[in-house]
Amino acid sequence: MVIIAVIFLIIWPFLYIFVSSFKPLKEIMSRASFFPVNSTMKNYQTLLFARTPVRDFPRFLLNSFYVSVITALFTLVISSLSGYGIARNRRLRSGLVSKFLLFIYVFPTVVLLVPIYKLFTNLRLYDNMLGLVIIYTALVSPFCTWLLVSFFENIPKELEESAGIDGAGTFTTFTRIVIPLAAPGLVTAGAYSFITAWGEYMFALILISSNLKKTGPLGLATFTAEQYIEWGPLLAGSILIMLPVFILFMPVSGYFIKGFTAGAVKE
Amino acid sequence: MKIRKNEIQQYLFLLPVVIIILIIFAYPYVRTFIYSFYDISFGGTESNYIGFKNFSYLLSNSFFWESLGKSLYWTLGNLIIQLVVPLMLAILLNANMRGIHLARSLVMLPWIAPTVAVAVCMRWMFLPKIGIINEIFSSIGLMSKQIHFLGNSSTAMPVLILLNSWKFLPFGTLLILAALQAIPTSVFEAAEVDGATGFQKFQYVTFPLLGSMIWFVGFLAFAWNFNTFDFIWLTTQGGPGNTTQTLPVLIYRTAFKTFRLGEASAISVFIAIFLIILGFFYFSYITPKEK
Repeated sequence: MVIIAVIFLIIWPFLYIFVSSFKPLKEIMSRASFFPVNSTMKNYQTLLFARTPVRDFPRFLLNSFYVSVITALFTLVISSLSGYGIARNRRLRSGLVSKFLLFIYVFPTVVLLVPIYKLFTNLRLYDNMLGLVIIYTALVSPFCTWLLVSFFENIPKELEESAGIDGAGTFTTFTRIVIPLAAPGLVTAGAYSFITAWGEYMFALILISSNLKKTGPLGLATFTAEQYIEWGPLLAGSILIMLPVFILFMPVSGYFIKGFTAGAVKE
Repeated sequence: MKIRKNEIQQYLFLLPVVIIILIIFAYPYVRTFIYSFYDISFGGTESNYIGFKNFSYLLSNSFFWESLGKSLYWTLGNLIIQLVVPLMLAILLNANMRGIHLARSLVMLPWIAPTVAVAVCMRWMFLPKIGIINEIFSSIGLMSKQIHFLGNSSTAMPVLILLNSWKFLPFGTLLILAALQAIPTSVFEAAEVDGATGFQKFQYVTFPLLGSMIWFVGFLAFAWNFNTFDFIWLTTQGGPGNTTQTLPVLIYRTAFKTFRLGEASAISVFIAIFLIILGFFYFSYITPKEK
């Protein structure tokens, strides 16, 4: 009972925002009841169908989707390789490398603002979605490596050894035996990368300037900078940005919690 | 020491992640240090070496020290809440009952929700006259007049700290919960045999065994909160006035609003050194002691 009450206390804002996104403007701009009196889809309609080149929310979401999916794919390739390398090497596992990855994870990214801005301008990655993909991959790869190490470690070494006896090289063993067995870990790491890239704001803010290339978070934030803030479509937009994350997270949350904490407890 | 062929291959597996870390973290890091000795304006075609002038300018101006003060206030406020509340939450969620996994997943939601969406909605909920928070407080009689929480210089910072802590509660909760579950039940049973009450069990058994995890969460929370930019920028932009202008907000403003990249780099260097020292202390004094 206490647990249910506490959980409600923590997540009620999400419920409130969700139901409020169906309220007509009059109820949003006044103190109405918790639930909408005259529920309407108008906020979503304005957001999705009243498109102008400056306020093209469906396009922003599509951009975010594109950036997040590619980021997740890049990250999976990079961090499953490194995660496996560390998991199978005792010297690396116990040594500085895993601590170093952790250090990268707490690294002050705000320090990178100026040099990344200049570097990406020189590399023509400024105002380029590929630039975002590269930086997001770099941001999540160390953590995903760390996450995957604990998944790879749980795969019995004997399986790989017997593959080796059958004549498979290190790389074949990796792609044929290890990767399929670590599927839950890969799904978790992929979901983590997607979620991070989907919601990132700071680097999108400094690296993207044209309206056509804005990501969802950046687009939503620009709406709030307008002189007259339309809260209705903003709430609807917030829900549309949050929903994919929640939908993606809930099925893998069990794995996620396990993988995330397995590494931490050992540290 | 003979390195086998296998081992070389294992090192090769690490190559991609090492390359991307070098390009995106190490190289820019070095550049920041170099930029901090130059006078660079936006566009950055012209830059003059000016030695320590960026640093001396910062250190002799009150806005930098004020911003540092805000940063420490922000970080410590967040840190305390993000250690105390997750500890209680984790103990609560350590129960073994039906639906506990769902409960744990639901608690995670604030953490994974995109910051932009949370910030936008919170701005609306905390508005005077139309926001639900004012409504709740005045209906239970806590407040007689409407407060513009995020637009008032005395409430903006504490409210932001609460909101940001709410968003990061799940993180500490998850880690402390994992540490709790790693404690074997036999330890508790032994304490019960010795006649320990519920609170005594917490004080003498749970709490000491959680020590290293609490340090770990504290270290991560300190580093992350010290670097928070997006949540503050999206809610108050450092305002009203400069009341929530922490160092990361100051860096962004200096670099991308007033276009003084060299000066912004100098602030970055300051942050980097500060956190490196902190990390050094954590890794060399606190982690080994636990083993």
